[in-house]
Amino acid sequence: MNAPQAAGVSLNAAVSAAGLVKRYGEVAAVEGLDLDIAPGEFFGLLGPNGSGKTTTMHMLATLIRPSDGRATVAGYDVAKAPVQVRASIGLVFQESALDRTLTVAQNLRFAGLLHDLPPRAIEERSRELLELFDLAERRDQPVGTLSGGMRRALDIVRGVLHEPRCLLLDEPTIGLDLPNRRRIWRFIERLRARTGMTVLLTTHYLEEADGCDRVVFIRRGRLVESGAPRELVARLGRHILEVEGADLDGLVAALEPKLGSALREGDAAHFRCAEDDLALLSRLQAEMGGKASVWRVRRPNLNDVFLWVAAGKRVA
Amino acid sequence: MPVRPIYAVLERELLRMVRQRTRLVAAMVRPLIWLLVIGGGFAAIVGGDYRSFLVPGVLGMTMLFGAMLAALGTVYDKESGVMRMMLVAPMARAWLVVAKLISAAAAAAVQAVLLLVLLALLGYAGSGTAWGLLAAAIAATSFACAGIGMLTASFSRTLENFAGIMNFVIFPVFFLSGSLYPVRELPPVLYWTATLNPYTYGVDLLKHALLVGRSTADFSVAVDLAVLVAATLASAAVASWRFSRESAYEPMIHVPAGRAR
Repeated sequence: MNAPQAAGVSLNAAVSAAGLVKRYGEVAAVEGLDLDIAPGEFFGLLGPNGSGKTTTMHMLATLIRPSDGRATVAGYDVAKAPVQVRASIGLVFQESALDRTLTVAQNLRFAGLLHDLPPRAIEERSRELLELFDLAERRDQPVGTLSGGMRRALDIVRGVLHEPRCLLLDEPTIGLDLPNRRRIWRFIERLRARTGMTVLLTTHYLEEADGCDRVVFIRRGRLVESGAPRELVARLGRHILEVEGADLDGLVAALEPKLGSALREGDAAHFRCAEDDLALLSRLQAEMGGKASVWRVRRPNLNDVFLWVAAGKRVA
Repeated sequence: MPVRPIYAVLERELLRMVRQRTRLVAAMVRPLIWLLVIGGGFAAIVGGDYRSFLVPGVLGMTMLFGAMLAALGTVYDKESGVMRMMLVAPMARAWLVVAKLISAAAAAAVQAVLLLVLLALLGYAGSGTAWGLLAAAIAATSFACAGIGMLTASFSRTLENFAGIMNFVIFPVFFLSGSLYPVRELPPVLYWTATLNPYTYGVDLLKHALLVGRSTADFSVAVDLAVLVAATLASAAVASWRFSRESAYEPMIHVPAGRAR
């Protein structure tokens, strides 16, 4: 790599972190995180609740200071040049960052002026973006009267009004119904196609992360897996075997020596199976299928990766 | 100086003030009740031209309430999420305090001017007024009140203690000043408390400006201006320090459960 290196962070990267730590008293929310996101990349930060995703986002956005380690965004150090970092990023929080009493246009004017944009530029970009996000007719409506999906879309417009090089989306579709989630993703796709901006997102909806170029899973503030979604799924295995039964413990005890350790999910146990295990699987089903009320072999997906990571198991 | 961002905060404040009609009407009615009803009642006891004495006090009251309410809007901003918009703005945190201070002072000054027009129409202001000094007095008092407001906002985490703020900040600041009585007539303890209250000097300056020749002021114009400017700068400095702490932005930013502060 020819990228200039400074204490582990790559300055050519859109976002780079080396040994990033955030401690609250004794508790470490983020514990030595390394990240390297290329310009234009669509990057997903995944992990269970409390794994440190939002804390990481907020450190990258300079809202909180890292306890240790370094991070740069667009080449600027988050600790040393927070103002330049904020000028280079757009941040969409989990909760709305809008004034409900002001109209759509007034909110965008407020946000634009806060980013030191001239009023005419705010006008032009608002018009374009509201068009892109299907909000053009809502221009003069108070934000309080918009639906949750529209408010979320407006929040994103607010986040990209100043044409940031890097957009940070913290759970952009949380609390939205499926049609609205799809709409938000369509908007983000359009935006990426038009501007080529780097997008870093966190999400709980794993199927949404399928479109990412690359995802990382973090758990207890540490990176545990990273790669392209398809690659991670392939690494997990060729098949997932789900079994349920009255004597689940007995079944698991019998299967674990053959298939490796199981993942318990409520009343079911999951096993990972490599490709050439199909013959083994049918043999096992013939032997033990009778004891199981459910015996299902299916393709793994990113949700499975998430479950295995959340359970603290290595995927590779 | 980030002029546009500061203007953004100012514009929003004035927009909100015009929008919240009841707040604006209350800001006009409250001082007029003091002047006409309470002033009328006390005039019967103390005699003399008590209402004229009260005019600077009620003008100051408008600024105190106006600036306090606008500055305390910062706490509301934190709860409503508007603060998030301001936090991601590319400027140093201290400028947010400056922007809020200017906005709160502007809201107070606009309300003072509106009340002044009403007072003039009612015949309580206009004659014997030093206009230049009055403009300076309104500006300096508005800023000092905004400073007290920002200081209060920087120490209050939620709006739930608004009644407490009313009782323990606004009322003492108002009553322990020369608004209702000459400071020098107060008993020693109250006198010294009043001299420590920056708002006292705002009302005193208003007396200089509004009652030229019949002034009942307790301090000189120079002392009044110096104290008001110093109080504004000091409270802005402390508020900036308070707002530059990370914990000032809960629940704006994420802190793991049970790990507040």
